[in-house]
Amino acid sequence: MTFDWSVLWASLPALLDGARTTVLLTVLTMAVSIPGGILIMLLRVAPNRTLNAIGTVYVEVARNIPLILLAFWVYYVLPLLLDLRLPPFWAGLLSLSLIISAYNAETFRAGVNSIRRGQSDAALALGMSRAQVMRKIILPQAGRRVLPILANTWVSLFKDTSLVSVIGVHELAFTALQIRTTTFRVLEILTAMAVIYWAMGYPQAKLVDWLHRKYGVVE
Amino acid sequence: MSEAQATPIRPKSEGREPIVVYDRVVKRFGSFTALNGVVAQVFPGEVVCLIGPSGSGKSTLLRCTNKLETIDEGAVIFDGMPLPAEESLARVVRRRMGMVFQSFELFPHMTAIGNVMSGPMTVLGTSAGQAREEGMALLAKVGLEHKAESYPGELSGGQQQRVAIARALAMKPEVMLFDEPTSALDPETVGEVLAVMRKLAEEGMTMVVVTHEMSFANRVGDWVIVFDHGRVVEEGPPGQIFGNPIEKRTQDFLSHIGWSM
Repeated sequence: MTFDWSVLWASLPALLDGARTTVLLTVLTMAVSIPGGILIMLLRVAPNRTLNAIGTVYVEVARNIPLILLAFWVYYVLPLLLDLRLPPFWAGLLSLSLIISAYNAETFRAGVNSIRRGQSDAALALGMSRAQVMRKIILPQAGRRVLPILANTWVSLFKDTSLVSVIGVHELAFTALQIRTTTFRVLEILTAMAVIYWAMGYPQAKLVDWLHRKYGVVE
Repeated sequence: MSEAQATPIRPKSEGREPIVVYDRVVKRFGSFTALNGVVAQVFPGEVVCLIGPSGSGKSTLLRCTNKLETIDEGAVIFDGMPLPAEESLARVVRRRMGMVFQSFELFPHMTAIGNVMSGPMTVLGTSAGQAREEGMALLAKVGLEHKAESYPGELSGGQQQRVAIARALAMKPEVMLFDEPTSALDPETVGEVLAVMRKLAEEGMTMVVVTHEMSFANRVGDWVIVFDHGRVVEEGPPGQIFGNPIEKRTQDFLSHIGWSM
């Protein structure tokens, strides 16, 4: 068996371009899914039953369907249903955001529930409204507390972006698999792909470990 | 028993309307009746101490005073008006009362001065500059201006509780509610908190204090209310309650906690 590593040099610009899309997709998904998650969490903890039901149904649906299916659905069904045809990148971003928002909502909910009742009592006793208590007292504390979990979600998300390659988003996995098809250098390309994912993922995982040490201890 | 003891004198009630009235207050938690028809009054400028065994309802009554708990029957009347049912109106009443908790409940993500400024800035819309200036004066009052930039986690229990008192005072309350303010403290820091409370009392602040510090109630209290099983067992000036209690249950409670008359 002979290896031809030179194919990598030729493909490197394309691979790096794919890697850039992977990073962009991860960053944008998180940028949407943090406020999105807070919004859905607020629905879930709202005293109003209708709002509550909307939040609960959303979370239970979104986190229990496979991402790959949702990606297909957004890309192929939305055009039929709503006449809304999104380019692959935006369809991928939407699918990822829908699911990660549901995960984040549950993360934030756990964080909010972990803040003891005395904190909201103290804020209410000062005359704050429930919205002010949430914004000024509960969320800042809950946010700190869930930072390590959000970071975990981030790292998973970074790798899961590869799933939206199925609808033709030109991220790292799609690009690599495409090069493999045209060059037939399976081992070389897949190895390069693994190395790139690892090289980008490892520092992130280390950052998560650091966040766990810094913020993971409760009280 | 003389007439004077049967109808004890309550100096600060003379010619004044009570600022807080508990009118047959009933509060239930499921099948448990925490307050069973409590009748009591607080007059302006008084230090009213609520004492009694754990679970007798004193903390619950305090929490009903600013509507952190809602009552099931009766009424809590503040400054002549029953506590409003609507949340937004209840908030306006809450501003006029300060509350200090057993477990301090300082906001851990804010510095000491940040905690003190949080009420006026968030609720009253006070400017940061003014809130800081007033807040620093309050921290000085509780002897902690040098800890203004410290976070609660960097302060001792006694210091945290003094900041919590300053935070409550920042709203310029008409009544201060203290829920066992020294029960969670190390013995050596109890004194510094009681000293601040005593100073407040001397300045004429109206205070309702749930406490297990009998010597504080005896020396600083104007009026002492003894609770048992969700009812007022006996009330009177400290001299009566701690020197010559009328009710058997008061005597039992005091002897149980080791108070010697």
